[in-house]
Amino acid sequence: MATFPLKIMTPDGVAFDGEVVSLSCRTINGQIQLLAKHIDLCTALGMGEARIKLEDGTTRRAACMGGMLSVLKGECHLLATTFEWADAIDAERAARSKARAEEILAQKNLDKRDLELAEARLKRALVRSSVVARKDI
Amino acid sequence: MAGSMKEIKLRIRSVESTMQITKAMELVASSKLRRAKERVEGSRPYFETLYQTLYDIVSTDSAFDSPYLEKRESKCRLYIVIAGDRGLAGGYNSNILKAVEADAAGSDYCVLPIGKKAVEFFERRKANVLTTAFAEAGDLSVSDCFEISRLVCQKFLAGEIDEIRLGFTQFVSMLTQTATVLPVLPFDAAPPAPGHERESLMLYEPDSKSVFEAIIPEYLAGVVYGALCESVASEQGARRMAMDAATKNAGEIIDHLNLYYNRARQAAITQEITEIVAGANAES
Repeated sequence: MATFPLKIMTPDGVAFDGEVVSLSCRTINGQIQLLAKHIDLCTALGMGEARIKLEDGTTRRAACMGGMLSVLKGECHLLATTFEWADAIDAERAARSKARAEEILAQKNLDKRDLELAEARLKRALVRSSVVARKDI
Repeated sequence: MAGSMKEIKLRIRSVESTMQITKAMELVASSKLRRAKERVEGSRPYFETLYQTLYDIVSTDSAFDSPYLEKRESKCRLYIVIAGDRGLAGGYNSNILKAVEADAAGSDYCVLPIGKKAVEFFERRKANVLTTAFAEAGDLSVSDCFEISRLVCQKFLAGEIDEIRLGFTQFVSMLTQTATVLPVLPFDAAPPAPGHERESLMLYEPDSKSVFEAIIPEYLAGVVYGALCESVASEQGARRMAMDAATKNAGEIIDHLNLYYNRARQAAITQEITEIVAGANAES
């Protein structure tokens, strides 16, 4: 299978740097998948699961939230705000965070900002736990 | 004479204990510096690519306009100033605060100080402080930077702020740190020269404007976080240098005092001998 170089960077450092067969992730426009020889592309990332397929057929999954995806001259850069490999996610913390967010959302008189914050937290927690839950597939 | 010997002894002891403290602070700063340096190096590729991409979008594609690009008459300028939480770091805090003040001189500005020293400084100046929620530069995380970015972008879009500049200390090397004031928004990139506009072959999903506007808050948060990493590393670097100099100075003072102490001791002995000899002479 044809491969292409992929570099995944976060503010905390480089999370991945190497050749991959495919990359699939969630953008602001929906799920997309990139293969080798893709046209130059630039888009912003949404919140969701990212999946990369390595040359030997193994698939690695991660929770990927916010940032930017670009392909330039065949090289792919994924700049994510948060990028956590499935095996590095703290499932308990995600569950706790989800519970707390739900608790906040259950209150009636929230101002707009608190609502937004709680919603964002719930979304992050849901993405994380969904990535963890599908580990065994 | 015996009195002055005791005094010198006491001074030596006090300088020694000061030296111990500066030595310990130096060690702490260098171990923190190592960690901070790794963080700076880890974060750099992310921001460089982010900046480069935004720059590419703007410089190849002039067909869209965004409120983030529009240069407005600068009525209210916001300075995001990153300084340290503690003193004893040589010129680190005063350099950055002075640089910002010089840059802001004569214009109407407000500040978002990060770090206790910056907060104190601008409160004393009675400057228009946006928020003091981020007073602790030491434990600011990525998500705090996103919070700052969200707040600032909102104000920028609402027209309360016309320009954003970031004051931080660039970590050039272990020995050199430079205070820098960097314009952040509106995003400044050379638009393609008229007549030389070229059609970008880049595919933007869904379109360049949406991508640009989705990325700008990320970019701002990224720049703030990057600047924070640089500043924290610079602070440790500056402190290490200052404490190193202090330790050396203390060593010098101790050497001097030891010299005086020995002189005083010798003088005391000589005097005793003279007294004994004089006494013996008188008896015989």
